[in-house]
Amino acid sequence: MVGRVRLALTRGAGRFPGTVVALTLLFLYLPILAVGYLSLSPNAQPTVPIDGVSLRWYGAVLTDSRFVRAALTSFGLAVVSAVGGTALGLAGAHTIVRSQLPSRVRGAVALVIGLPLFVPTIVVAFGIGVATGVADIGFGYLPVIFGHLFWVLPFTTFLLTARYTELDDQLPEAAQDLGADRRTIFLTITVPLLRPALLASALFAFALSFNEFLITFFLAGSGITTVPLEIFGKVRIGATSFLNAASVLVLLLSALIAGGASVLQRPA
Amino acid sequence: MGTADEQSTLREGVIAGVPVSVAIAVGVLPLIVLFVESIGPGLGTAAYQEAVSPLYRGTLLYSLGVGVVVTGVCLAIAYPVTYWVAHRCPRRYRLALLVTLTLPLWLNYVVLNYSWVWILARGGLLNTVATSLGLIAEPLDLLYNDISMFIGFVYIYLPYVVLTLYVSMERLDYRLIEAARDLGATNRRLFLDVILPSTLPGAIAAALIVYARIAGAFATPAILGGPGNVMIASLITEAFRQYVDYGFAAALSFVFLAVVVVALLGGATIPQVREELRQW
Repeated sequence: MVGRVRLALTRGAGRFPGTVVALTLLFLYLPILAVGYLSLSPNAQPTVPIDGVSLRWYGAVLTDSRFVRAALTSFGLAVVSAVGGTALGLAGAHTIVRSQLPSRVRGAVALVIGLPLFVPTIVVAFGIGVATGVADIGFGYLPVIFGHLFWVLPFTTFLLTARYTELDDQLPEAAQDLGADRRTIFLTITVPLLRPALLASALFAFALSFNEFLITFFLAGSGITTVPLEIFGKVRIGATSFLNAASVLVLLLSALIAGGASVLQRPA
Repeated sequence: MGTADEQSTLREGVIAGVPVSVAIAVGVLPLIVLFVESIGPGLGTAAYQEAVSPLYRGTLLYSLGVGVVVTGVCLAIAYPVTYWVAHRCPRRYRLALLVTLTLPLWLNYVVLNYSWVWILARGGLLNTVATSLGLIAEPLDLLYNDISMFIGFVYIYLPYVVLTLYVSMERLDYRLIEAARDLGATNRRLFLDVILPSTLPGAIAAALIVYARIAGAFATPAILGGPGNVMIASLITEAFRQYVDYGFAAALSFVFLAVVVVALLGGATIPQVREELRQW
């Protein structure tokens, strides 16, 4: 295999593109490997090379009450975003693809849902922050949850739109001719056919919400902390082994979820 | 029959209404509130005048400049990378390689930024290795300055550019490259006359998506930048956190938003670029 890769590296335009690929992979993953390596240090402040191998900082992270609370909050928010964001996304996708509403209206729906894709996140976050102040809602779970739903909505909607367009629209019509009502058609035809896409959408929404930082930063106030907020707060104080172990755990979790989602998203 | 149609329209309206209300409540209304803040009280342009005063205009231009330069570097890296993945990589490894190159999109960017602290710090990996190999006598100051912020930006945004450019690169017919090479084209001519023209829409789409995110980024300058690296997002955050002068920060947001939207609309006038942007 090494020989074949080397052959592929040297064909055609010479070694240049292949070398850039190798360097890019190194660039992307070396820092992650470095944090993983340093997280095993027995000391609170790791040195290079580390003085031994220990899992004590992983234990410290998992028993740190602040971090555990942040993890539970992040998990809860991510579940709400996954379920709520996918349900809203399904309604959005249905409207964009299937609805009998005029195409002008459907275009407007797609535009409004797609807002977070082209309005810079800092502007969105600041806007929501100011608006909750004006509306006297203040900080807290309500604005954070809605902020997350809004943030994941374009991703779930457009992922489901792509699959929705591929569905054979003769199936629901045939079912209708055979006397099935809309509810039956939706539950026995549309949902089962969309199931892999729905699962992928939920997982992507979970990952997006779990990693979301900026909107939460503006809306959480002092009462709520999530994993990204917690890590950001600690990074500003200083780099430690504790932070390295927490980082590895966060990266592993998000990689697992994203990996699962991309396997599901691929049409069989 | 008429009532059934009306009922169905009503149902479609309700289905459309739910996600749209969320988007309007959390997206559109806040923008309107922000706009009111930027011109109030009393329909003035004072906030806008402050936002484009030389001091803050400098920050705006600096942020956009960083966005443009980093985007350029990302494209320069993404071209050979996507070319190799689309046209050189053995087919069976192609998907795995593409996933590996774009996986960081789904990882936590606060953590990803932080990981560079350990590479670039005075006692970090790079300095330790370089000093022990005798390449440098003293550890270099690579962290909390332009260098580390710049590396952080390329690190976070390269996968976006790779993903967007890959779509165009994959569509490029490899026989064109072979034909050009058979006719004696040099690598330079091959790139300028064959590869660039057919992948340019993808490159422009990638640039439009990424430069604004970089210009408006908060986490990377906060984690890897130094005190001198003040960008738009730092100003807005500062204003918000201190509960002062929302008007100025709101005006700054709208100036920034206007730049982004104008560029996007400009890009979308080119049909091929619009096609590429659609996938987002």
